[in-house]
Amino acid sequence: MTTTVGDPPRRRRKGGPLTRREARAGLLFVLPCFLLFVAFRFGPGIAGVLMSFTDYTLTGGGRFTGLDNFTRLWDDPVFWQALKVTAVYVVIAVPGTLVLSTGLALLTRRAFRGSKLFRSVFFLPVVTSLVLAATVFVWIFSTGGPWATVVSWFGMSEDSWLTDDFLVLPALAVVGIWSRFGYGMLILLARMQDIPRELEEAAVTDGAGPWQRFRHIVLPQLKPAVFFLAVIETTASFQVFDAVYTMTGGGPANASYTLVFQLYDAGFKYFELGYAAAIGVALFALTLVVAVVQRLVIGKDQ
Amino acid sequence: MPRLRNVALPVLATALAATALAGCGGSGSGGGGNTVTMWTYPVIFDEAKNKEYWDGLVKKFEKKHKGIEVKVETFPWANRDTSLATAIGSGKGPDVVYLVPDQLPKYARNIVPADDYMPEKARADYTGFALKSVTAQDGKLLGTPVLTSANPLICDKRVFEKIGEKEYPSTWEDLEKLGPKLKKKGYYATSYSGDTQQTLNLTFYPLLWQAGGDVFSKDGKKVAFNGKEGVRALTYLKKLVDGGMTDKDLVTTTPKLEQTPVAKGKVACTWQNTPADVEPFWGKKNTVVRPPLKDAKSIGYGTVGALSMLKGANTEAAGDWINFVAEPENAAGLEKQSSNFPARKSAKELYGDDEVQSAVGDTLPKMNAGPVKDKAREAMGVLAPEIQHALLGKKSPKKALDDAAKAAEAQLARR
Repeated sequence: MTTTVGDPPRRRRKGGPLTRREARAGLLFVLPCFLLFVAFRFGPGIAGVLMSFTDYTLTGGGRFTGLDNFTRLWDDPVFWQALKVTAVYVVIAVPGTLVLSTGLALLTRRAFRGSKLFRSVFFLPVVTSLVLAATVFVWIFSTGGPWATVVSWFGMSEDSWLTDDFLVLPALAVVGIWSRFGYGMLILLARMQDIPRELEEAAVTDGAGPWQRFRHIVLPQLKPAVFFLAVIETTASFQVFDAVYTMTGGGPANASYTLVFQLYDAGFKYFELGYAAAIGVALFALTLVVAVVQRLVIGKDQ
Repeated sequence: MPRLRNVALPVLATALAATALAGCGGSGSGGGGNTVTMWTYPVIFDEAKNKEYWDGLVKKFEKKHKGIEVKVETFPWANRDTSLATAIGSGKGPDVVYLVPDQLPKYARNIVPADDYMPEKARADYTGFALKSVTAQDGKLLGTPVLTSANPLICDKRVFEKIGEKEYPSTWEDLEKLGPKLKKKGYYATSYSGDTQQTLNLTFYPLLWQAGGDVFSKDGKKVAFNGKEGVRALTYLKKLVDGGMTDKDLVTTTPKLEQTPVAKGKVACTWQNTPADVEPFWGKKNTVVRPPLKDAKSIGYGTVGALSMLKGANTEAAGDWINFVAEPENAAGLEKQSSNFPARKSAKELYGDDEVQSAVGDTLPKMNAGPVKDKAREAMGVLAPEIQHALLGKKSPKKALDDAAKAAEAQLARR
């Protein structure tokens, strides 16, 4: 038996760098999505920013008005009210979603009889139309409805939370948390599967209780996933609209009138598209700032 | 084989990209030449009947007007402004669109005034209510009315029988007097929807008009809703809410009709629904039609369905089509099948055998379609939350209306 020593085979080593041809084919496969992204995300985004410097209306061809829309926004009490409402909603909904997602991921992470069923059931709200669900929640939160009945056991009034300017945001946050915790749970579950069991078993041997195991072993390992979720949830919460539109129409007395609601009204009710674009730009800037802060606070080690 | 793959991969990927982008494009629906595109909505609720009506009309028109092709597209009511505004903004709007008076001022700059194509004879045939409802501040007609509707006071006979009452209310005072008796038996006197997404034309403005007030001053340059009539109307409404004469939850939310006290037979009278709305729940024989409530005068909300021509259309072809649809014998099918009424004086009686509908038709002269003003929606946008403030006791009616007026004046001052 003879062997010939020649050029090493050109085949790419598993996990090694791509050949130029493979890279080109890969890029071409990415091209459709990339073009769609440019056409439907990046392009409109840039157009929106440009539009915010005009008084663009339905007739098109708006005049360049410089910073007029932003000055108007700064002086608009409705904008500040909407910003306050949105911020309060974010402060309630984001931690609520993270805590519930984490709790349910912990409860369902180990296989037990029916664990898959529970995971599926918990994920159901994510794929349920929020507009349809909100219609049901209007009934749930109505005066004398199921929610009011339950809270009345704790001495609270049976009046609808949706008519109370203090309780309306917690009520909407409940709907927001309900509709999104399943997604967070799924992400955290996936991350939890990667945590080596040995670590926790060693901690048990050392006498660590459930809270200590969660605090010192599970939570640090979850940090990248939590950071990801915090950014996603914050962005989604800043954009809250469907549930508000369906359940309260921004009321009572603007107590649930959010930034996206103001944007919607400006754009599609009053047709002031330049002003609506300015609200969109402000919303984008705010979300970006919050995401950067989150990066500095939660994700600094990642 | 590898060579084939080398060629096929980029070709496949490029084809995918091309397909994806091809999906982004699309030809404009706006008409040039002799094609007229029209956007309408399910005015006739039954989809099959709606299609049958428009198909039949198009066929009849095309037979008479050789060389003109008409395409009628029916879109859902929901988010109609969003889709229409987007289409117009991107130059893909239709030639003709079905609009109601609330929408007209917002599209005014895109509309070809009906004065340009409406025959003088037809103009003279319209009822005062129909014509006034499509007339802009500058006197131009923003659409051609094809139907009218009315929201008089309608009462549930069963509720009155339950409380042993034979007289139906005619005035604010009558309704208020009934309140305690109704409440005692578990009924509401009326149903007021304060949800800010509801048009005030249907909710608060009728009370304002009944008190003798109006939304704007006569010249349209100022708001007038915070006058003494407005304060009187809001004070009355607050009395209804505070007295439990209307469901307080509805001040902020609008559930589906079937979930409301009206549908559940818990409301004596309402001006926010039509007999067609309540018939499935009350039954026709239990629906009593009354003229709109009266304080200083008896006046209610009614609307007009109009066809407007958008700029860029072939004026002659689109005008011919609009004038054709508006002919009384052609519009009759649309009016009757949607439980609405004619806009022309020469139109035949549609509901001779139907007592309820005939009674509604009799109230048409008492109807007002709301202000046809550029900033009408902005005024509503600031007034509706302030009405909620007053109804929930956060502000006095006077303070709430003054605050709304201040915000509305700022809107009016803007271009």
